[in-house]
Amino acid sequence: MFTVSFKEFKNLFTSIRSILMIVVLFGVTVGAASLVRQFEAPLQKLGLGDDAYAMGLMLLLILAAPLFVTSLSHNTINKEMDTRTIRFLATKTSRNNIILGKFIGSILFWGVCITVALLLIVPFSKSFSILNLVQSIIFVSYFIGLTLFLSTIISNPSLSMFLGIIISIALPVLGLWSTGTDNLFVKAIGYVTPYFYYMQEEAYDYYVYFVAVFPILFILLSLFIFRKRDL
Amino acid sequence: MEALQTHQLTKKYGKKTVVDSIDLCIPQGTIFGFLGKNGAGKSTFINMVTGLIQPSSGSYEILGHPQKRLDSIQKEIGVLPDYSTFYDDLTAFSHLNYFQKLLKQSLSKQDILHILKQVGLEGAEYIKVKKYSFGMKKKLGIAQSIIHQPKLLFLDEPTSGVDANAVLNIHALIKQIAAQGTTIFLTSHNLNEVEKLCDEIAIMNKGGIQTQGTMKQLQEQHQQDIVIHIHHRPLYEQEQSELQNSFKGLAEKIQIGDTTSEFTVQTKKLIPQVNKYFVRQDIDVFRLEVEEASLEEIFLNLK
Repeated sequence: MFTVSFKEFKNLFTSIRSILMIVVLFGVTVGAASLVRQFEAPLQKLGLGDDAYAMGLMLLLILAAPLFVTSLSHNTINKEMDTRTIRFLATKTSRNNIILGKFIGSILFWGVCITVALLLIVPFSKSFSILNLVQSIIFVSYFIGLTLFLSTIISNPSLSMFLGIIISIALPVLGLWSTGTDNLFVKAIGYVTPYFYYMQEEAYDYYVYFVAVFPILFILLSLFIFRKRDL
Repeated sequence: MEALQTHQLTKKYGKKTVVDSIDLCIPQGTIFGFLGKNGAGKSTFINMVTGLIQPSSGSYEILGHPQKRLDSIQKEIGVLPDYSTFYDDLTAFSHLNYFQKLLKQSLSKQDILHILKQVGLEGAEYIKVKKYSFGMKKKLGIAQSIIHQPKLLFLDEPTSGVDANAVLNIHALIKQIAAQGTTIFLTSHNLNEVEKLCDEIAIMNKGGIQTQGTMKQLQEQHQQDIVIHIHHRPLYEQEQSELQNSFKGLAEKIQIGDTTSEFTVQTKKLIPQVNKYFVRQDIDVFRLEVEEASLEEIFLNLK
């Protein structure tokens, strides 16, 4: 399993798209941090204090993580099926190891990216928030699980990319909309997006940890489908 | 314990039956040849017994393990799939290193280089696979299938698209692997290859096994004609007519020439009779050749 994870992790780091993604993530984080630094005094008055830097990163993740994750991981499984390299893997390790390995590899990649982004803003914020790191990783894991699931059920990588982009635009819109509407349908959809849990008041901060259930569900579904699939 | 045993193994895609109720039993230590035309169902069969696709019905056991426990014996089987594609950005060495880790092996760098040398990829170990020719990819496919010294090796068309020299090397390698006790399940379009390498052969047609046995058994079962060519001293006219009369009714076709005669017979039992006749008649025989049906002829005669 960890052999698959390590390869996935290495692949994500070496593809041009991921390098671009990392540059964007770090660039926007550092840019946002410099901007926030110029408005340090008014932000302090608003009570945002040093957390404003980490909040900037969180905001970036909330809005752009679905697109980032989808564009990098939409073909995690179906590309291997399309090129038939999956046949080499499936005859050497269990199908569970392939799915779990791919998931762990992606989580590791995003974990490293977010950690480095948070470390980059330490000189500005003068603090490193483990809580922010954990919450960011949980948020990203939702989309990693979802794209892995899509990649398992859709054989065509182009189709999974197209659907992934649609979902990565629709989910933030629906999720954020659900937090401020009385429309029951939209509200119901909101419960299956991470946004509902991340937009709660401070007293309900622990809600964000419920989001971790979704990637587990996505992985279990992917395992169930992948084990029965003809490769 | 059999290397592979299948029970009514069937694969259907919609209404189309690709593999139809196959019962097959392959003893350990044999090289088993699986022949069939394109679309006969050979690759589907291999893909089923290696766990890549699910059977629609039936079951199988590999090395005594039921199909549900296939995950636990992956280290004991090696597979060269029919269509070998690799990770373009990796070298042959990196591929084998990755695969050996998946199989939880602990091969050294030298071991990996040795395997690559065995399959004829010496000098190309550190070249990215995207620069490889089809034949080189096939060789890498074989290398990855034997990296863990499996007890049962499935080779789907191991020599297709490979140059003649490499074919000889691969044949030698297959014989070497088999000599170490590995059971080999080989599919091929190359009938000479199967005839040359395999201890037992099954011919598949329209999803089912049409015939199965050793080469000798197949020749006996599907024997059409045996042609005996005899090169002898010049025969007098009287000798020619006596010869003609002696075998009339026994041979299907007799062609008596001045110094060469041909007898087309249906059974091998006539070969010594023909020989004895020439000895009895004191006719010098310089050469006697028996032309039997090749696997190709048997294969082509099957409908």
